[in-house]
Amino acid sequence: MDERDKERVVVEVTHRVMDAYGRDPKKVEQALFDTLYEERLRLRTEKDKDEVKRLSGYYKKMQSEAAKADLERQRELLSELIGHYTTEVSGHFDKRVYKAATTVIPFAISGLLNTMSPLKLIQGLPRGFETLGDQLVLQGEIELLKDLASKGTIVLVATHSSHMDSIMLGWAIYKLGLPPFTYGAGMNLFSNPILGYFMHNLGAYKVDRRKAAELYKDVLKAYCGCTIEMGYHNMFFPGGTRTRSGATEERLKMGLLGQGLDAYIHNLRNKKENPDVFVVPVTINYELVLEAETLIDDYLKEVGKSRYIITDDEFSKPRVVFDFIRKLFSLDSKIHMTVGRPLDVFGNAVDDEGNSEDHRGRVIDRRRYVFRNGRPGFDKQRDKEYTIELADAITASFHRDTVVKSTNLVSSAVFGWLREQNPELDLYKLLRAGGGKPTVPLRDVYRRMELTLKSLYRLSDLGRIRIDKTLSRGDSVLMMGEALAHFQSFHQHPAMVRHGDTLCHEDRNLIYYYRNRLTGFGIKEVEMGT
Amino acid sequence: MSPPASKELGVTVVGGGSFGTTLASLLTEQGWRVKLWMRRKEQAREINRDHINSRYLPDFKLPAKLKATTDLEAAVKAAPVILMAIPTASFRDVASLVGNHVRGDQVLVHATKGLERETFKRMSEILREETCSLKIGVISGPNLAVEVMRGNPAGAVIASHYQEVIEKVEVLFAGSRMRMYGGRDVIGTELGGAFKNIVALATGVSDGMGFGDNSKALVMTRGLNEMVRFSVALGANILTFGGLAGIGDMIATCASPLSRNYRVGFGMAKGKKLEKVIKELGQVAEGVPTTEAVWSQATEMGITDDLPIVRAVHGVLYEGITPLQALKSLMSIPVGDELAALRSS
Repeated sequence: MDERDKERVVVEVTHRVMDAYGRDPKKVEQALFDTLYEERLRLRTEKDKDEVKRLSGYYKKMQSEAAKADLERQRELLSELIGHYTTEVSGHFDKRVYKAATTVIPFAISGLLNTMSPLKLIQGLPRGFETLGDQLVLQGEIELLKDLASKGTIVLVATHSSHMDSIMLGWAIYKLGLPPFTYGAGMNLFSNPILGYFMHNLGAYKVDRRKAAELYKDVLKAYCGCTIEMGYHNMFFPGGTRTRSGATEERLKMGLLGQGLDAYIHNLRNKKENPDVFVVPVTINYELVLEAETLIDDYLKEVGKSRYIITDDEFSKPRVVFDFIRKLFSLDSKIHMTVGRPLDVFGNAVDDEGNSEDHRGRVIDRRRYVFRNGRPGFDKQRDKEYTIELADAITASFHRDTVVKSTNLVSSAVFGWLREQNPELDLYKLLRAGGGKPTVPLRDVYRRMELTLKSLYRLSDLGRIRIDKTLSRGDSVLMMGEALAHFQSFHQHPAMVRHGDTLCHEDRNLIYYYRNRLTGFGIKEVEMGT
Repeated sequence: MSPPASKELGVTVVGGGSFGTTLASLLTEQGWRVKLWMRRKEQAREINRDHINSRYLPDFKLPAKLKATTDLEAAVKAAPVILMAIPTASFRDVASLVGNHVRGDQVLVHATKGLERETFKRMSEILREETCSLKIGVISGPNLAVEVMRGNPAGAVIASHYQEVIEKVEVLFAGSRMRMYGGRDVIGTELGGAFKNIVALATGVSDGMGFGDNSKALVMTRGLNEMVRFSVALGANILTFGGLAGIGDMIATCASPLSRNYRVGFGMAKGKKLEKVIKELGQVAEGVPTTEAVWSQATEMGITDDLPIVRAVHGVLYEGITPLQALKSLMSIPVGDELAALRSS
C-alpha cells in the first residue's frame, strides 16, 4: 500500500466508523467508555511492559476527560481512538511488506519447502516427495480466479481447519502468479516462529484478538472494506477461526463478509472503472489435521460457550510441524485445495467472462441489485440480507468442494457403530467412556463404510461433494489401510488401531473430529449418529 | 401514500385466474397503472374489450383501466413490482419465463398457496431458482377472491426478508379495502397458506357428512396444531400462525362454502369421486396436490405420526379410503396433552 493509500485508509476508516456512531449522544458515549474499559482490562494482562506503560496513562487521562466532556469533545476522543486503532492495523501493512512479498515469497517458500531448505525440512524424505507443493492438489476454477484478479478485486474466502491453511494459501497464491492478498491474521500467528515468517511476507496485517472492544472490530471491518475498495485483493477465513468440531463451516462472520458488498457499492457510486468485487470460495481438505487434538478438545470443552484463543497448540512447536509435514510426505498424503466457482457479492455465480448469472445460467446485470430509483445506494437492511445470500452460496460451495478422505469415512463408520451400540449414552459420555465394547468388528466397519460410500457416490454424481481417489476406487480394505496409516503416523494417540479383525478405538475425540467433516450433507448413515 | 407519479410506474400481475384478476382490479381501482398478464389471447381480449373475466369471475365487471396482455416481456420489464398469482402446477414454468426479463432492482411477490408436488418446494424457493430476483415476497391471508371483488374489507400479510419489499407492497395497497400487514416469516406465511387447504378439505368432509360446528372446530383446531408442527420443523416462526396467514386464512377457508378445497372435501363426503368433484369445480383446488407434497415431506422428516389429519385426507384423496373410515381412524387415535406437539415445536 503506498503512502497515499495508507493515509486515505486512515481517513476513510475513521470517517466510516464515526458515521456509524453518528451524533447520538448515547451511542457515542457508550462506544467511548466501552472501548476505554476493554482496553484498560486488556492492559492488566498485557505482557508487553512498554505498551502498558505507554497506554495506561493515556487511557486514564482520556477517561477522566471523557467523563466531563460534551458530545462534540466525546466525538473527538472517539475519533482519536479510531485513528489510533486504524494506524495500528494499517501500520502492519506497509508498502515494503506488500511489495516485498512478490519478490521474497518465492525465496521464502521454496526455502522452507524445497530440498534446499535451510531448515533441513526434507531430511529423511523418500525420493519424489521433495516439495510440499507436490502434496498440494490445487484444482477447480484456477484459471478463472487468475483472470478475474485482473478484472476486479478478489475476496478469497477459505475453509479453516489448520494454521497450515495460511501456508498452503500463501503457496497457492504465489504459484498462481497472483499478487499477495491482504490478510488479517491473528497476532499470535506473527509470534509463531514458522507462520510469522510467512505472515510478514504475505500482505498480512495484525489483528489483535485480545482487543475485545466493539470499536476495534468496527475498525477492522472498515479497514477490510476500504482495502477491497482500493483494489487490494483480500483473503480471510469467513468462519472466523479454525473449525473446532472438524465440520465444514456453516455459520459465517457476516460483518466481514458484507465488506465486499459495501466496497462494491462505494465503487459504483464513485464510478470506478473496475468496480467489481469477486468472492472466491476455497475449500481445503486434509487427511490429517495437525491441530486436531487441541481443536476437538476445545470444542467439547467449550461447546455452546465463547471459545478462548488457543495460543499454544501443536503449531507453536516447530519440531511438531516439521514432523507432521514429513509424515504427510512419507504417506504421500494429498492436501486438496479446491477453488470454487467465483461469486458476486450477492452470491450469484460468475461466468468465465466475469458476468453474474442466475441459477439457469442467464447473464444478469448485478448492478441492479443495489439500485434504488435508478442509482446505486446503501440500504442496511437489504444489504444484510444480500450478505446472507452470499454466505449461503459460500457454504454451499464449501460443501460441494469438500474432498472426502479415508480418515473421514472410516471415522464416520466407527462412530456410527459406537452410537448404535450405546443408544443410552449422550455424546459426552460416549466420547469419554466409549461404551462397554472397546473393539469394533472390522466387518461391521466395512459394512457401514460401504453404506456411507453409496450415499457419497450419489452425492458426488450430483456434484454435491467430492471424493478422494482412494474412495472412488471403492476398495474398503485400501481405504482402511490408508486411514489407519494416517491415524498412526502423527497424533499422540492414534484414533484407532487394528488388532486382527477388530479395531480398537483409542481416541474417540479424534474419531468424532474426523467424522464431523461428513456432517451437514444429509447423509443418513452419518447424521444418525449426531 | 405514494405520490401519484409513482402510480404511473405501475405494477404487473402475472396470472389471469381469479385471484390474479382480483388483485389487478383492486390495484387498478387504487389508481395504479396495472398490467395483467395471461397466456390466453381470447381471455385478454375479453378483459380489454368487455371488462370481464368470464371464466374465473363471471359475475363481476372489471375496471375499464385494467389492461390485460399476453406479452410477458412488455409486462414484466418496466414494472417496479411484479405480483405472481399462478397455480403451483405451472408456477415453475411461468417463473422461468418471468426470469427471462426480470432484473435485480425489481420486487417479485407471489400469492400462490401451495407447494410444488414433485419437490415440496415453496413458491419463493422456485422464484429464487428460476429468476435472478433476491427481493422476493409472499402475500397470504384470508382472501376469497369473490368477497374481495364484492368490495368487502379484507386483510393479508406481505412477508419478505427485505423491508423494501414489504414497504413497496404496503404502499400498493395503502388506503384500499385490503389491509396489508407486514411480516418477516416467509416460510411460515407460505406454509400456512399451503397447509390450510388440507384442513379445508377435512372440514369440507366434516360438513359434508353432516356434522355440526363442534366437529368443524375440532378439525380446524387440531389442523392448526398440525400446521404449526409441520411448519416450525421447517423453520417457520410459531407466532405467524396466530396471524392472518395462519389462523386467519384457515377460518375463512374452512368456514366458507366459497372455498374450493372445502368444496372438494364436501363433495367427496357426499360420495363423489375426486375427479368428478374437481371437474365440477372447474378450477384448481391447491389442497389436492399440497396434501401429496406435505405427506411426502412429512414422511421424509419422520413426523407423520404428528399429522393424523393430513394422513386422513391423504387416505381419502389418494388411497381409496372412505371419509367414514378416515373419520373412524381419526377418532381412535389416543388423546393426550392437547398442546404436546406445539410445546415441543
